[in-house]
Order: sequence, then C-alpha cells, then structure tokens
Amino acid sequence: MYGATGVQNELLAHPAATHRVMHRFRGLRFHKPNFVAGTPMTPRLVDIPVLETERLTLRAPQPSDFEVLAPFVMSDRATFIGGGPEKDVGHAWRILSVLCGHWHLRGFGVFVAVPKGTDRPIGSMGPWYPEPWPEKELSWTIWDETAEGKGYATEAMIEIRRHAYAALGWTGAVSYIDANNTRSVALALRLGCTIDPEANGPHPEDVVYRHPSPSEVLA
Amino acid sequence: MIELQTSRLTLRLPMLADWPAYRDFYASDAAKHIGGPLPAVRSWYYFAGDRGHWDLHGFGWFTLDDGRGAVGTCGLHIPPHHADVEIGWNVYGAGQGKGYATEAARAVLDWAPSVTDAQRIVSYIDRGNTASKRVAEKLGADFTGEMAAHDPDCEVWLHQRRAA
Repeated sequence: MYGATGVQNELLAHPAATHRVMHRFRGLRFHKPNFVAGTPMTPRLVDIPVLETERLTLRAPQPSDFEVLAPFVMSDRATFIGGGPEKDVGHAWRILSVLCGHWHLRGFGVFVAVPKGTDRPIGSMGPWYPEPWPEKELSWTIWDETAEGKGYATEAMIEIRRHAYAALGWTGAVSYIDANNTRSVALALRLGCTIDPEANGPHPEDVVYRHPSPSEVLA
Repeated sequence: MIELQTSRLTLRLPMLADWPAYRDFYASDAAKHIGGPLPAVRSWYYFAGDRGHWDLHGFGWFTLDDGRGAVGTCGLHIPPHHADVEIGWNVYGAGQGKGYATEAARAVLDWAPSVTDAQRIVSYIDRGNTASKRVAEKLGADFTGEMAAHDPDCEVWLHQRRAA
C-alpha cells in the first residue's frame, strides 16, 4: 500500500525465518520461543536449586512454561497479580521474563511447581524481592485453575519458606495480598501469617501478612 | 559470559547495580517514546524482564557501561507479539549526544548473526522519536513505510543484513 520500495523488494526475496512461524494454542498467537539450549555462550538459569515436596517438584522457570502461564495472565483470575482479560500476550511474556531475570539479579527467585511425574506447571511460588519492595516477600500464584483446592500452594510454601530461612538466611518474610483475594488470604492464614498493620506494601491496596519467624518455623 | 567491547563502551549483561540509572531514566520524560514515564514498581518489571529475555531466547538486552557505570541499554529482543527481532537502544541523559547508541548498536548488529537466524532485524521507532530515527539512519537502516502491527504509532525500520 506504500508502493514498491527497495526495502520491500528485499523482504520479498527472503523466506520467513524460523522464529516468525506463528504457533497457536488456546486461541493465542505467539512465537514459539527459539530455545537454543546448550549454546555455551548463553547466560541461562543454571545451578538453581530444585526443591521437592511430597507431591511437587519446584524448579526454575523455563520457556515452555509460557503455554500455561500466558492464558492465566490474560484471564480474570490474574487481576490480583497485575494480569487480566485486557492484557496481551506481550504482557504475559514479560512476566515470564521477569520470573527468570529476578533470579539473575537477586540470586534467588520464584520456582515453578510441577506435580511429580508430569512436566505441566501449575503455578509459581517463591522468594520475591523486586527493588521497590519494602521487604522480602514469599509469593505464590496458581496458574492452572484445575490445580486449585488441592493444597499444592500450602505444601509448596511450607518448603519454600523453610528454604528462604534455612538456605537463603532470611530473617523474616511478608506476603503482600490484595484484601479481596480471599483464596490467598486463606492460604496466608494457614501458613500462620498475621496482618502487620504498621507495614506498607509496594502498592496501596496491599495488605501486609507477616510470616512466623525463622525460630518458629525451623524449630 | 557474553560481553561486547566497543572503543568506548562495554556491553554486558544487566545487573542489580544498573537499576538506579534504569529506574531514573524510565521515571523521566526521556522515556516518553518507550512507554514512560513509569514509577519504579513498574519499570522494575522492564528491568528484570530485560535480563530474563536472555533465558528465553539466548539473546537480550545489554547494559552499556562507559567504565563508570550504566549509561544506557542496547540489545535484541523478540516478544511474542512482535513480527521481527528488534534491535533497541536507550541512552540515559548524561550519556546522550556522544554517539553511544550508534556505537553500541553497530556492535550488537555485528554480533546478531551469531545468536539468531533471523532474516530480518528491525527497529520499531515511535513516529515522534526523531533522535532514535537519526541513530537508525546512521546505522544504515531504512524506514519501510510500514507501521508496526503491534503498535500503530511505531515505524518499522529495517536494518541491513549482516553475514553470519
């Protein structure tokens, strides 16, 4: 529509590159991540601890997690964590990028939970400490709605909190929860958290739930 | 460890020490063409996401370091809703006007064939961002006459192909 230019002619001369192949899942269009595993120069997440609970493996985020994460981020179930139906696939991609980048910047980060014997992620859980956060947080998000109500998040968070206190040396932890997020509030209470009315979260709507101390948890 | 060297800059992976300069840039009007100004609670997600892109694609954003710290960013990225691999650049206030963006982007374009088989490398540049368009021209890129499918305000500039 802009007329033939030299640039456009050059474009036509080249077949579509592999990364431009669009893939479809659940009505979303996206580029399949061009994961070049094994390239020695690439700075990937390595040496990340893998935690085990009775039913779950907690491992580093990886590109294939996007297939479960993206539909979650763009659903109304994600409105409490910055997602929602109005968000696009680029926003979902950024969230997966952030989950990975946090590990490099902080040396710790959230794990992706996978039921043992499967490679299907159900959510992300773990230590979370963006620079603007007032305190170190223990966070959890169940991506897969069918995995709710089974106690997976509780099971994972008990092990992750032990890891944060024993292996990372945290002296305390909070969870920032929107007051309307009743499922997460219930989980915080199950984990023994109490509201700290004096503390502020990174967002005005956050309620600060303070976790039991290391001496209480590791006793 | 990936690191590129130009005559005046080291291009290295972003690290936590780069955050204050990144935050201040995104909080300023200078970021108006790239989604800013943004508060720190939001620009942190761009910052951490820039670093995490390396895990997802094997390439990503570098911090530009002039020997005294971060003066900007430059790198390759391809979010899933973009049509092509993009080279982008941002130079923070104090480093502007020195040709840093052009210098860094040349190094990234030369390095690109070693990390991606993309046939096209483009820059999506806001139609009002004259400074970035000047950089693209100096790099030998051409405006295709098209606007980005993901953002109707962004022009698509196509870079010349480098040999692998």
